[in-house]
Amino acid sequence: MWWKITSVLLLVYTFTLGMLVPLRPGILTVSPESGLTRQSTVLTISGYNAHFTQGEGQTRVWLTYDDENAILAHRVKALSDTQLEAEFQLPANLPKGEATMVLNCIVDNPADGTSVLPNAFQLKLDSTTMQEYDPTWKAHPVEKLNVKKGFTYPYRNVIYETIRNTYFHVPMWFVLLFLLLASATYSVIYLLNPKPEYDSKASAYAETGLLFGLLGLVTGMLWAHYAWGKAWSNDIKQITTAVALLIYMAYFILRSSFDEPEKGARLSAVYNIFAFATLIPLLYVVPRMFASLHPGATGSPAFGGQDLDNTMRAVFYPAIIGWTLLGFWMTSLRIRAKRIEDKLGGLD
Amino acid sequence: MKFFKTRIFFIIVLFGALYLCPANAYAAGDFMRETGKINVVVGVILLLFFGIVAYLIRLERKLTKLEHQINDDHEWKN
Amino acid sequence: MKWLVFKTLLHKEFLLEFRQRYAISGIVLYVFSMVFVVYIASVRVQPPVWNILFWLIMLFVSINAVVKSFVQESGSRQLYYYQVANPVVLLLTKIIYNTLLLLVISALAFGTYSIVAGNPVFDYPLFALVLLLGSFGFSITFTFTASIAAKANNSATLMAILSFPIIIPILLTLMRLSNIALRVIQDTSYQRDIINLLAIDAILLTLTFVLFPYIWRD
Repeated sequence: MWWKITSVLLLVYTFTLGMLVPLRPGILTVSPESGLTRQSTVLTISGYNAHFTQGEGQTRVWLTYDDENAILAHRVKALSDTQLEAEFQLPANLPKGEATMVLNCIVDNPADGTSVLPNAFQLKLDSTTMQEYDPTWKAHPVEKLNVKKGFTYPYRNVIYETIRNTYFHVPMWFVLLFLLLASATYSVIYLLNPKPEYDSKASAYAETGLLFGLLGLVTGMLWAHYAWGKAWSNDIKQITTAVALLIYMAYFILRSSFDEPEKGARLSAVYNIFAFATLIPLLYVVPRMFASLHPGATGSPAFGGQDLDNTMRAVFYPAIIGWTLLGFWMTSLRIRAKRIEDKLGGLD
Repeated sequence: MKFFKTRIFFIIVLFGALYLCPANAYAAGDFMRETGKINVVVGVILLLFFGIVAYLIRLERKLTKLEHQINDDHEWKN
Repeated sequence: MKWLVFKTLLHKEFLLEFRQRYAISGIVLYVFSMVFVVYIASVRVQPPVWNILFWLIMLFVSINAVVKSFVQESGSRQLYYYQVANPVVLLLTKIIYNTLLLLVISALAFGTYSIVAGNPVFDYPLFALVLLLGSFGFSITFTFTASIAAKANNSATLMAILSFPIIIPILLTLMRLSNIALRVIQDTSYQRDIINLLAIDAILLTLTFVLFPYIWRD
């Protein structure tokens, strides 16, 4: 009983914090997107969740080349909370003498902290070149940055608010794994001690595992459509998940193709164990060999450390536990229904 | 085989919903991409919700059948 | 004693193949017609496509070659094996025999396919190794699924349904390695992939031996 309450509480926590905690302020766009050296240019910066008017007079805007080379805007004006005008005197050449280079944009103010838009502005060399290094690059280094206080999720370009899907889409994968592990475990128990009860448990866990796998796949496709541009981009993790689902559909077809229940239960238990064993290389070894669009791609099948910050971890781990417990709860209902079914079948 | 019929129906509905979503979104002036794509999150949550509800409906049907079985047995014995 | 049983059973497999010549000639014909169909459909192809088509041919031919190891043996004969032989020894002979059979078939498929569709292989030692590992992996997986499918009702369909998803980790690794042998992709650290493949094979082999007694018991 206690674990069902835990599940509900954790999911309430996940949904509340997952939906209500705001995103950290960030930069949506910078226009114009390119300019020539030696020019004076006015950039209009539009921010997301930003409070530019609060930091009036204290807002600083840089265009950065690397850690050492940056140019500071000499005039910054907040048009509204989300619109900012910054005027730059662009230097005479590029730090390493390139003809063109894409610069990052950094906005910093006390109210919002620091936000970065990578590859925001393209700086091209004008026709008259100057050989020596322009010292304005080093005149105003990026320093004394403000840190935004409070509970917020990181702002990422392209995905924006959908970063919240980390608590809804990603846990499906964990639930799938835990439920299938439970299913394989019951299959092992069944082989060691052939009671019909263990077999029906194994099949119930595989059933909910399949459900959560399917949900993970479908929600992933929806998210991918808006984050990667295509619902199905043949990403190796999409493929391996689809194959995992195929394996377990084969398991259910196998279950239904025997006349004698005992024989069917035994052979499908064997197949279930074998299937789970092939799932391990499928989910852990194969993804390492191919490039992936998923975070923590090539090299690690799960999330890398840099993809989650501490704020997100505080919601992500409870979300995994909450969803997993919900999966086990749903399975336990199915098992109880099966038990009654078997009892009634025995009456006839 | 019954199991597969309901499962296939379920899959068709889910994938169908997915393919309808973007089509409507483009028509309605990028509804899904407004305000930081928050509606994608809403969509994901709705998919999860309907998936779980579909599972519950299937379970309920099974239980209804069992109830009928119990009632039938009862009447037959009297 | 066990060694003797092993030798006898292995001998029996070859003898059976030799006596039922229609089975092996059927497989050979299958390879030829498959290659020919692919040839008609696509004449000369680029190396990446060559690779995909080659492994597809291998996949279908292998399934059809291995399926008979259990499915095509009659029930009474299986009962006889059950009485005289240890299941593990029986399985071992089947796997070894199927590996050899698949090696011959893959050589045959490679030969005919490279005649009709060209031969883009650069690294022959690596490609030979891939074929060897592929035959071994296919043999383990398909022997296992065939032993399950043989016990069920519609064996032939079930064989395909059970085998295809399970073979995918092996197949993906094989296709990647043979792409390296074809110089479609450049990768100098392919030893890691070979080790992965060996590890997958080892896991499946161990599991097959642990689980086979449960399938065999009737």
